[in-house]
Amino acid sequence: MAKTYDYLFKLLLIGDSGVGKTCILFRFSEDAFNTTFISTIGIDFKIRTIDLDGKKIKLQIWDTAGQERFRTITTAYYRGAMGIMLVYDITNEKSFENIKNWIRNIEENASADVEKMLLGNKCELEEKRQVSKERGEQLAIEYGIKFIETSAKASIRVEEAFYTLARDIKAKMEKKLVSKLYTPRGGHQLKASELQKKPTSWLSRCTIL
Amino acid sequence: MDKSTVAELNSQHDLYLQEIEGIDDYWGPTFRAIFDSNEEVEFKKKLGERIKHHDKDIERLCNVYYQGFIESVRELLEVRSQANKLNSQVVTLDKQVHDAAQGITKSGSDLLQARKVQSNIAVVIAQLNLCLPVFTTYSKLQKQIAEKRYYPALKTLEELEHLHLPHVANYRFSRQLQENIPKYREKIEAASMSDLKDFLENIRKFSPKIGEVAMRHTSEQLASDPTVVGRKKKRNAPQPPGQFSDEDRSAQELIDFSPIYRGLHIAHVLSRSSTFETYYRAERTKQVRLVLQPPTNMHESEESYRSYIHAVLGFFILEDHVLNTGKGLITRAFLDEMWSMALSKIVTALQTNSSYCTDATLILRIKDLIMLFCTTLRNYGYSVKPLWELVRELRDHYTEVLMQRWVQVFRKILAEEDFQPIKINNQEELNEMLLSFPWEGDLPDNIVYPYSFPFSSMVPKIYREVKEFIYACVKFSEDLNLSQVEVDEMIRKSMNLLLTRTFNGCLSSTFRSPHVNLQEIIQIIVDTGYLEEANVYLDQFISNITGEESRGVTSALAHGQSALFSVSREDAVRQICEKLKQKLNEFFELENYDWLLVEPNGHASSYISDIIAFLQTTFHSFTNIPLEAAQIACKSACDHIAESLFAMLMNEEIKQLSMGALNQLNLDLLQCELFAASEPVQGLQEGSLLSYFEYLREILDLFISWDWPTYFHDYAQETSKYKKVNPDVAIVLLEKLREGDKKTMFTVLKKSERDKKKLLETVLKQLRQLAQIPPGK
Ligand SMILES: Nc1nc2c(ncn2[C@@H]2O[C@H](COP(=O)(O)OP(=O)(O)OP(=O)(O)O)[C@@H](O)[C@H]2O)c(=O)[nH]1
Ligand SMILES: [Mg+2]
Repeated sequence: MAKTYDYLFKLLLIGDSGVGKTCILFRFSEDAFNTTFISTIGIDFKIRTIDLDGKKIKLQIWDTAGQERFRTITTAYYRGAMGIMLVYDITNEKSFENIKNWIRNIEENASADVEKMLLGNKCELEEKRQVSKERGEQLAIEYGIKFIETSAKASIRVEEAFYTLARDIKAKMEKKLVSKLYTPRGGHQLKASELQKKPTSWLSRCTIL
Repeated sequence: MDKSTVAELNSQHDLYLQEIEGIDDYWGPTFRAIFDSNEEVEFKKKLGERIKHHDKDIERLCNVYYQGFIESVRELLEVRSQANKLNSQVVTLDKQVHDAAQGITKSGSDLLQARKVQSNIAVVIAQLNLCLPVFTTYSKLQKQIAEKRYYPALKTLEELEHLHLPHVANYRFSRQLQENIPKYREKIEAASMSDLKDFLENIRKFSPKIGEVAMRHTSEQLASDPTVVGRKKKRNAPQPPGQFSDEDRSAQELIDFSPIYRGLHIAHVLSRSSTFETYYRAERTKQVRLVLQPPTNMHESEESYRSYIHAVLGFFILEDHVLNTGKGLITRAFLDEMWSMALSKIVTALQTNSSYCTDATLILRIKDLIMLFCTTLRNYGYSVKPLWELVRELRDHYTEVLMQRWVQVFRKILAEEDFQPIKINNQEELNEMLLSFPWEGDLPDNIVYPYSFPFSSMVPKIYREVKEFIYACVKFSEDLNLSQVEVDEMIRKSMNLLLTRTFNGCLSSTFRSPHVNLQEIIQIIVDTGYLEEANVYLDQFISNITGEESRGVTSALAHGQSALFSVSREDAVRQICEKLKQKLNEFFELENYDWLLVEPNGHASSYISDIIAFLQTTFHSFTNIPLEAAQIACKSACDHIAESLFAMLMNEEIKQLSMGALNQLNLDLLQCELFAASEPVQGLQEGSLLSYFEYLREILDLFISWDWPTYFHDYAQETSKYKKVNPDVAIVLLEKLREGDKKTMFTVLKKSERDKKKLLETVLKQLRQLAQIPPGK
């Protein structure tokens, strides 16, 4: 089958329940918004193809349930993620404070080189703001990650957030590719898609007759 | 001469003398006799003698009477003077008398004149007495006509004609009157006709009022009727007595029918009864046509219906009254015919108009109107059966309209619904919740708030709305005089229809919305479960209303009810499968098989791992999904995965295939089989999920183990390891493999490879032969 994309990036949205993860994703994938809060159960995903520097990039974005009771289920998805959006609600101090815990979660469960990004959502609710932009920036600097304030409702910088993350992942991957190309150990050229597959062949039971 | 002769002669002479003396004249015969006998000498002598004798007597006598004569002359003289005296006396007297008589004569003639006048007067009086009745009667007639009392006028006319006029026949005026009598008759007839016209005009204006009053009376009567009160739920308190206004008089009292009666009398007297009848009937027939013509947009308001019904009712009440009192002005047959014509028109009019109506409240009002109409009509003895039929139809229409209304209600509820379990934040809300919905589950002893009910807020809302619907249904059967059983059945039927058709329809369109996600659909399934449980309470609720015994959960009807939501549920489950399939398809879009892969790295493809993980997470997370639904969904997911994998293999665009790729597919299939065997959903029959992958498994096993001898040997046998592998499929795959080989085997020209190639060709040939044989041998 002819490939419909050049790269597939798996992204993950995490953060407290109610911060707007589902809404951000909904905005990004369908460019729509819904005020009724339907707390996510388990996990869901959306796929959107974007164009970066002439490359077709499929983003498979996983939307996790923020509720505590789904924590074990959702952490299982950290490992496969190439980029993680940490979302808090600027009108909710607690959700901001919890970002540390989410970071710890990532450190424990995700692969080490996962791209991360901090999102302060609901930024159009200026009058209800509890977390200043500076504190968000500060925290991001602390963890050495990028930070953007977004609004799923007002459609502010949602696209930008995903594009930024995707671009960073792409850059990192291409850098890795290049370094692999020039390391003596990397004997043959790898296809991008093969990056995901760690070569371990002992399981293989296939034989060619 | 002898002596005797002489004597005899003498005597003869004497006789002659006597005769002469005795007779004054007529002496002829005597003298003749004398001369005949020649005795004239003798007799002359004798006569002489006799004369001498008489002379002598005269002389003597004179002597005697002379003295007396003198005397007398003297006396006479004396008398003369006396007579003169007397004469003068008499003259005076006469003069006196004459004077006196003159006054008397005058009085006498005066008297005579007076008498004459008197008698004249008497005659005139007598004549006038004869005429007077004529005039009084005539003036009476005039007065009666002026007062429009035509019937008495007619009677008077008759009296005049037959009693009075003949007496005065010889008068000129009598003739004139006589001539005028027919004119008067005509005039009266015309006047009475015009009265009738006025009357007809009048009752036309009035009959709606009569209908209205009659309806009000009926409703008051119904309200005070103890047999009806119970059903009316005492909504309308009985009116305080003694405040009947002028308006509350009965229909007949409202209208002055006398023009009809008068007219009828008059017509009768004039022997024009039939004209009168014909006219009346024709006019009323015209009128009824007008009355039966419903106002152009009657369906728009209750008021129009009301006035229509009032007009019709009024008309027929009047007609009934006329029938009863009109002495044959109309006949039963006439009225019956008119009524049956009217009835069909009324029914049609009401039918057509009410069918436009989409307002349930208005339909109820119309029904009430029709019912009252019927009862009133029946009181007047009209048959109303088709109207009952109409009410029945109206009931269906009403239910239909209610359904439509509730479609809106349900849609609104569903549109506003977030399909999230209800969260209760405090005791108050809990109490409220428990009041609004019969919750059968147990509550923990120590409720920690916020507390979640398993169902969404749609459940109590729908429950309440169904109850509202039932109330609305019942409203129609009120006053319908239906048996409890009938009402009960009707309500249950409507409710079933509401739930199976209306509600399910709304739910279905909710599913169809692309924005509804899995979570919401699952919640809907859960909700329908609770709604179904609540059916028992709805059942009881209906029984409480109708007084019919509860059908119980075991009865046939309730049994039907328990499947009320099955359509929705099936639909929902189908939607879950659909949503899952969509998700799976998204995964499959990420598939990036290298169909010429030399050797797999030993891992399942990442998209497959993701699919499996996703399915596991999903079935694990949705703890509230009913088991049955989960099972169906899981089966459908497995089926879809297997089908998609197979479709990929068979994809015509992929012309080449390597064994390595088949091995990768095998790894992926293994993942799926692991999942299928892991009992992702409870209660599935062992191997039931695996069965979806069997076909692929056989294909892959056959190709990977290259076990063609077994395949051909066991072909078409039940026990065959590869019984599912169709030769056509195998051909396609083999051809792809052959194409794949061409590329990779270019340089490899070892003998083993050449043998292998040969074998492949042989197998292909054999397969093609098999494929020729029609299936089933
Ligand atoms: N004002 C405002 N409200 C938002 C915004 N984004 C999300 N919301 C609202 O916040 C609530 C929660 O949004 P979700 O996206 O469902 O939250 P979530 O993070 O997915 O929550 P979980 O699924 O429970 O983890 C919803 O009522 C949204 O309407 C935003 O940018 N502005
Ligand atoms: Mg969510």
